[in-house]
Amino acid sequence: MATKTANQARPSAQLRRAFATPMGLVALICLALVLFLAAFGPFIWGEASQTRDLTNLSGGPSAEHWAGTDAGGRDMLARVLVASRLSIMMALESTAISLVVGLILGSAPIILGRRVGRVVNWFIGIAVAFPGLLLALFFAVVFGSGAHQAAVAIGLAGGPSFARLCQTLIAGVLGRDYVAAAKVGGVGRFRLFGRHVLPNIGEPLVVNATIGAGNALLAFASLSFLGLGVQMPQFDWGRLLKECLEQQFRFHPLASLTPGYFVVVAGLAFSLTGESIARAMSFTSLGDLGLRGKARRRAAQLAAVADAARAPDTASATVPDAVLTVRDLTVTFPAGPGEVRPVRGVSFDIGPGEAVGLVGESGSGKSLTALAVAGLIESPGRVAATELGFLGEDLSRDGAGAHRRLLGTSLAMVFQDPMSSLNPTQKVGHQLAELAHEHGDLSWRQAQARAVDRLAAVRLPEAKRRAKQYPHEYSGGMRQRAMIGLGVMLTPKLIIADEPTTALDVTVQEQVLDLLQAIRREDGVALLFISHDVSVVGDICDRVMVMYAGRIVETLPVTRLHGGAAHPYTRALVAAVPTMATDLDQPLPTIPGRPVEPAEVPPGCAFAARCPLADARCREQEPALEPWLDGQVACWRPVGADTPATAATLGGPRLGAVPTARRAVKETVETTRVAARGAVDQAKAAARDAAGQVRDALRSAADQTRRAVLGEEEGPTEPGHEEAQP
Amino acid sequence: MSTLRFDHITVRFGTGRHAITAVNDVSLTVPHGTVVGLVGESGSGKSTLARVAVGLVPAAAGAITLDGRPVPRKGAGRPLQMVFQDPNSSLDPRMTVGEAIGEITPRGLTAAERQADVARLLELVHLDPARAGAYPGQLSGGQRQRVALARALAGRPSVLIADEITSSLDVSIQGAVLNLVRELQAELDLTMLFISHNLAVVRYVASRVAVMYQGQIVEEGPAEQVLAQPEHPYTRRLLAAIPGEGTRQGQGSERHRTPSELTEGEPND
Repeated sequence: MATKTANQARPSAQLRRAFATPMGLVALICLALVLFLAAFGPFIWGEASQTRDLTNLSGGPSAEHWAGTDAGGRDMLARVLVASRLSIMMALESTAISLVVGLILGSAPIILGRRVGRVVNWFIGIAVAFPGLLLALFFAVVFGSGAHQAAVAIGLAGGPSFARLCQTLIAGVLGRDYVAAAKVGGVGRFRLFGRHVLPNIGEPLVVNATIGAGNALLAFASLSFLGLGVQMPQFDWGRLLKECLEQQFRFHPLASLTPGYFVVVAGLAFSLTGESIARAMSFTSLGDLGLRGKARRRAAQLAAVADAARAPDTASATVPDAVLTVRDLTVTFPAGPGEVRPVRGVSFDIGPGEAVGLVGESGSGKSLTALAVAGLIESPGRVAATELGFLGEDLSRDGAGAHRRLLGTSLAMVFQDPMSSLNPTQKVGHQLAELAHEHGDLSWRQAQARAVDRLAAVRLPEAKRRAKQYPHEYSGGMRQRAMIGLGVMLTPKLIIADEPTTALDVTVQEQVLDLLQAIRREDGVALLFISHDVSVVGDICDRVMVMYAGRIVETLPVTRLHGGAAHPYTRALVAAVPTMATDLDQPLPTIPGRPVEPAEVPPGCAFAARCPLADARCREQEPALEPWLDGQVACWRPVGADTPATAATLGGPRLGAVPTARRAVKETVETTRVAARGAVDQAKAAARDAAGQVRDALRSAADQTRRAVLGEEEGPTEPGHEEAQP
Repeated sequence: MSTLRFDHITVRFGTGRHAITAVNDVSLTVPHGTVVGLVGESGSGKSTLARVAVGLVPAAAGAITLDGRPVPRKGAGRPLQMVFQDPNSSLDPRMTVGEAIGEITPRGLTAAERQADVARLLELVHLDPARAGAYPGQLSGGQRQRVALARALAGRPSVLIADEITSSLDVSIQGAVLNLVRELQAELDLTMLFISHNLAVVRYVASRVAVMYQGQIVEEGPAEQVLAQPEHPYTRRLLAAIPGEGTRQGQGSERHRTPSELTEGEPND
C-alpha cells in the first residue's frame, strides 16, 4: 500500500518520459546548443568577431570565413555566434517582464481583494483588446530605441495576454476547496498565493512562457531587422540579418541568411521545449490509472496465467429466453509494456423483466462490465467474451452495424451525470423526438408527440412545456428523468442504469427509483442497476450480483442480502452501511485495507487480504463461482445461510496460523464483528419489528394525547388500548 | 465552553431582481460538546450556512456568535474549522500531508514542535505519522478525508463544521470515517455541526438534528425525537425516502410508501 505512488508526486519522471520522445530530444539538443551559445559565445568568438580582414570585404563563404565577411571584413559566423547572447537575453528578459506583469495583474483579486481585483480585470480586458504589435510600438516610442528598451517594450506588450492567462488559471484554483480550507485555517493572502496558487498554476505558465520566449525572439529579430530594435554598435540576429541582406545577398544569397538559420533553431528550441513540457503534463493526467512498470508486468503475467488456467465457465447453464447472456467477459486495457484487466471473466444472465443489481466498491469493474455489454468500450480498451448474447443475438461476433441498431433500439443506458448525456444546445423534447425519428420510423410530428408522452410517462410535470426547454433549465432530478425518458422513447428490453441516483438527494433518488420500478412493471423491461450502495440496490432489484476486483464473487436473491449472504465481502459491504436501525453504541463495522488495484490482483482470492476468514488456500487458489443455495458464490469458506454463526467457528482455529500477535488481535475483532453481525441480524429483524410496534404505539398515544388536548371526543383513551394494539 | 449560535442569519446571492435568498432568517444553536446534525436536500442552504459560519460567504443579515461573542472572520487561529465534502478537492495536490496540516497549526511553533504536532494529529486520525511526507495523490479516499480532519483539528478549533464529509466516499470507507468522527468527538469533547443529506449517517453521529428546507430550518430537536416522531411533512418525506428501509422485512420490491403507509405496513405479528 505504501508503495502506491501517484504521478503528481513525481513530475520529474513524467518530464523524463516526455523528453525521451524524438520531439523532446530535438528540443533538448536545440535548447542546450542555444543556451551554450548565449553563455559562452562572446568569450569564444568575441575576438574573432572584431578582427577585420581588410582584403576580404563583403566576401563570400570560404574555408577561412564559412559564412563570409561583412562590409568591414569581419567574420560573419563569429558575429552571428556572438550575437546569440544578446538575442537570447532580450527574449528571456522580455518574457520574464511579461510573466511578472501578468502575475501581478492576474493575482490582484487575491492580493488586493475582490473589488480592486474586479477593476484590474476590466483593465486586463481592455489591454488584451489592443493588438500586441501596437502596444509594442507604443512602448518602443515611449522608451526609445536600444536593446534593453526594446526588451521592456515587448515585455510590457506581452503582459496583458499573460495577465489574462494567469487570471483564468488563478480563478480555477481559487474555486478549489483547498483554497477555502486554507482561508478558513487563517492562511494569509500572500502565503495563499505563494503556497497554494503559484505551484498549481506553475506548469501551464512555464509552458506558455517557453513558447512565449520563442515568439519574443522572433519579435526582436523582426524589430531589429526593421531597424527599430538594437542599434549600433550592438548587434543581434535581426540586425545582422539586415546587414547581411544589404551587403551580401546580391553575391552570396545562401550565406547571407546565416543569422536567419540561428533564429529558426533558437525559435524551435523554445517552442519544442514548451510543447514537450505540455506533453509531460498531459502524461501526468493520463497516468492517473496508477500503473507502473513493475505492477504492469506483474499484471500481464497474471493475466496470461489466468488465461491458461481458466476452464470454460460451467457454473451456470444458458437461460434459454434470457434478455442478456454474458459468458466469460473480459475487458483489457493496454498499460505501457503490459496490460491490465479490470474485468476478469464475468458471466451472468438477465431474464425478461428481471431487475438485477450489480454492486461493488469503486474500481471493482462494475461500470466497465456495463459499458462492455453496451458496446461502449472505446479503443484501446478490448472486450472479449465466449458469449455476449442480447435478445438472442451474439454481440461478440462480427456484424457491428446490425448490433448497433439492435442496441440502439432495445437497450437504454442511464448514467450518473445526466448533464453529460444530454446535449446542452438542444431542447429536451427535440432530443427525444430525434431518437424515435431516426430509429423508430416515426414521422417528425409523431416523434414529437411521443416525446411529450414519454416525458409525461417519466412524471415530468407540464411535459408539453418542459419538452421545449433546454437541459440546463431542468433540475438534477428532472434531468435524470428526462434521461430515462430518452431511454424509453423506443421500447427497450433492457435498461442499464449506472449509479443513476448517486448524485441525487434521497427524496429525488426515491422518485427516480420509483420511476424505474414503474417502467419495469408496466413495460416488462429488464433492469441492470449498478451502484456502490447496497441499500439502494436492495430496494429495487430481485437479484444482486456482487463484484470484487473484476469478478463476480456472489449472486444472491435480494431477500438474502441482509443476513443471508454467503461471501464475507457481501456481508461486510451490507454491514458497513448505517441504517436507521444501526446500534448507536457500537462502532460501525468496516472493511479493513483497500480495494485491489486492477494492476495488482494477487494470486488466490482477491479479497483474501481483507477477509477475516481467509486461510492459506484462499491466498493461493482463486475460488470459482459455484452454485450456492439459490445463488452462486466464489469463496472457499462461504458463510452458511442457515448457520450464520459459522463465521465464528470457522474463524477460530485459523487464528493459530497467523504469525504476528497484532494481526491476530485485529482479525479476531473483525471475525467477531462479522460473526456477531450474522448472529445479531435475526435478532435485529425481530428488534426492528418490535421498534415498529413501539413506534406505532407511541404515535397512537401521541395522537390520542393531541386529541385529548384539543378536546376532541373521538375515541376515548383507555390505558389498555395501546397495549392491546400490537 | 463553546456554544455556536446562528442568530437570524440571512444569505442572498446576486443583486436586484436576480437575487436568490439561500438562507432565510435561520437561527440555530450548537451547544458545547454536542454534535448537531443538519439535514436537507441540495439547494436547501445547509452548505451555505456552513460557509457563512467560517467566513467564506458574507451574511446579508444576522449574527454568528461563539459564547456570545462575534466569531472572528479574519486572521489566523480561527475558532471555527471546516472539513469539506471532497478530499480530492480540499487537499492541495502539491503539498505533502505534513505541510498541509502544519500550515494550520498555531503560529509561533518551532519547526520541531510543528512536526511533533503534525505527528500527534495524524495519530489522532489513525494514520501513520510516517506518512507526513506523502502527497494526497498517494492516499486512498478515506485516508485523504482523515488528513482533512486532522488539518481542521490542527487549528485547535472550538467548533468543527463537517460539510457532507462522507458523501463522496464509498460506503465501505464511510463507516471508518464516521467511527473516527464519533471517537474524536468523545475524546476531544468537540462541538460540531455535522451536515449531511443522509439521515442514517446523521443519526449515527448527532445527538440533535435540524432539518433545513428551502433556506429555512423547519424542525429541530433531539435526534431520537426528530427521527422517531417527525413533526414537519418534509422530515417525514426524508425519512420515508431512506433507501433500504422498505425491503428489510422481506417485502421484495414493495417499497416507496408514504410515512403513514410505512407505519401501517409494519408486520404486526
